[in-house]
Amino acid sequence: MSNIIQVLILGLALGGVFSLMGAGLSLVFGVMRIVNLAHPSLIIAGAYIAYWPFKLWGVDPLVMLPVATVIMAAIGVLLYKLVFEREAKSAKYSEMTVLLTFAVAMIVEGALGGMFTNTQRVTSPSYATEAIFIGDIFIPTGQLYAGIISIAIISALALFLKYSRFGNAIRATTQNRDAAQLLGVNVNLVGVVSFAIGIGLAGAAGVLVSFVFAFFPAKHWEWIAILMSLVVLGGMGSILGTVLAAFMLSVVAAFVGAYIGATWSTMTFFLALFIILLVRPQGLFGEKPELA
Amino acid sequence: MTTMAIQNSTEVLAARKEHNEKIAAHTDKARATWFPWLLLGLFVALPLLQFTGNYNYVIHMILFTACYAVMASGWNILGGFTGYISLGHNVFFAVGAYFAGMIYARMGISTIILAPIAGLLAAALGFVIGKITLKVRGPSFIISSLALVMIARILFDNWEFVGGAAGVALPSTDLPVQWAKLPYYYAFVFMAAFTVWVSYKVKHSKFGMGLRAIASDEIKAESAGIDTRLYKALAFALSAFFVGMAGAVWGEYLTYIRPNIYLIILVSVNMVLMCILGGKGTVAGPVIGAIMIVAFNEFFVATLGASELNILASGLVMALALIFFPLGIVGTLAKHNRLPRFLNWD
Repeated sequence: MSNIIQVLILGLALGGVFSLMGAGLSLVFGVMRIVNLAHPSLIIAGAYIAYWPFKLWGVDPLVMLPVATVIMAAIGVLLYKLVFEREAKSAKYSEMTVLLTFAVAMIVEGALGGMFTNTQRVTSPSYATEAIFIGDIFIPTGQLYAGIISIAIISALALFLKYSRFGNAIRATTQNRDAAQLLGVNVNLVGVVSFAIGIGLAGAAGVLVSFVFAFFPAKHWEWIAILMSLVVLGGMGSILGTVLAAFMLSVVAAFVGAYIGATWSTMTFFLALFIILLVRPQGLFGEKPELA
Repeated sequence: MTTMAIQNSTEVLAARKEHNEKIAAHTDKARATWFPWLLLGLFVALPLLQFTGNYNYVIHMILFTACYAVMASGWNILGGFTGYISLGHNVFFAVGAYFAGMIYARMGISTIILAPIAGLLAAALGFVIGKITLKVRGPSFIISSLALVMIARILFDNWEFVGGAAGVALPSTDLPVQWAKLPYYYAFVFMAAFTVWVSYKVKHSKFGMGLRAIASDEIKAESAGIDTRLYKALAFALSAFFVGMAGAVWGEYLTYIRPNIYLIILVSVNMVLMCILGGKGTVAGPVIGAIMIVAFNEFFVATLGASELNILASGLVMALALIFFPLGIVGTLAKHNRLPRFLNWD
């Protein structure tokens, strides 16, 4: 029994991190209809922003969280202006953006690999190696902190989207871009800002990732499919859906890892992605099959 | 009254036929089908150079380009003609390589003989996978093809029979160095010629027209009576056939098969990139793309060395090509009526 609870807790802790990793992806798709395959590579870029100050001067990764968010958001604006703005009028827009973001992912991976090599890195602040024991059950504090911070950031994002004026404009654009524009929403500004928020979230997620997983530039290929499975299961564009999907799949993956074998744990995400796309492409909370 | 109507309609049909033939004759004249034949002739005669010295490097480069041309032309049947971008075609490359490679390792049958069978196996697998995944289109299809690579990678990494992640070493040929590359060279040159020929034939068949109709508007194509589900699955199978065949011989040429050679994303990216650079949906495009990618690779490996910078360069080339030349070289030139005659193979 305690074994089952243990696996459940590890799965939930992982789910917290994955939900922040997926949230930015979901936001960008919702507003811009961009399937951003470069998202995981930008998460790794964020992880390096936390890694070097820790390695060189022993700066706590969590201190770097706002810094990484701001830097990555700025990179997001740059990417949007350079790459995606001119593609908005292309006929095969969403398909085109998949290929373009794929190219961006390769550029980011190549640049990071060229600068920092493909060595596995991890930041190890004291809390990342400790654990809290409750009876037989242990909770790794690193993952616990990461999960709590993820949920806090996502809640803040949800409140912003729900109650602020600009958040309403973002949600209106997600629902219907043309109607929002007719009602006086500056959809271009909404596009840039939500893209920046999305990539900023990638930066924040990267900082958390830096002490939860070992990372290296080529690692993002694995995460692409994992994050896609969360976003697709949750319904593309639904942030709440992404969070729920992250918890569900992480728990399932934790059980698969514990009872069948560690190599098959990531397989859960890939198979789930494959099956969901074919059986219910709109996901759990998607309203209509956007992509089918 | 009725006879007149009939007479009129036969006249109309005759006039239309005449008109069509005129157009066809015009395009026939514009097309340079002699050029690929000339190239083939040159490449068949080229190994004669070996009598005068060691040109193994030249042989290797042409062999490499031909292999890429087979893969790109194969990919083009699904990605170019039908408009379904697959980032998972290296799975068929791996399936072909593993099937032929394992038989070669155990029974010593040359993969060149096994290549068509490996191709058929890849095609059968492609047909089944196509039947499943081609239900979704656009970005969903691209993502599902990525998931396919991930699944295949884990399966091959953990399949003990084929050596798991370490792979299998294949026996190398005992021919003298000077002639060692030639069997593979001819295999790839003829495969490339065959692929280009099939791709030309497909483009001009009723099947190919159906595929192009699907690419431009699938719903209209379906209402025009095209069995889109079957056509798409057949296109998937045909493109998997060529990729699988190339994989089979490539394994023996490299003398080892290992998941991290075949099932890395760079292999499938190269297929997409060659078609985009050369021109998706054209016959000559993938071949020109293959030449360009091999040249780029040689240049970057020679000047930059590290594979990470190679990835960076591939990504940059891909992004620039997508933004500025989405139609590729052949497509862009044809659009401005500047396509040189010898590149017009369609």
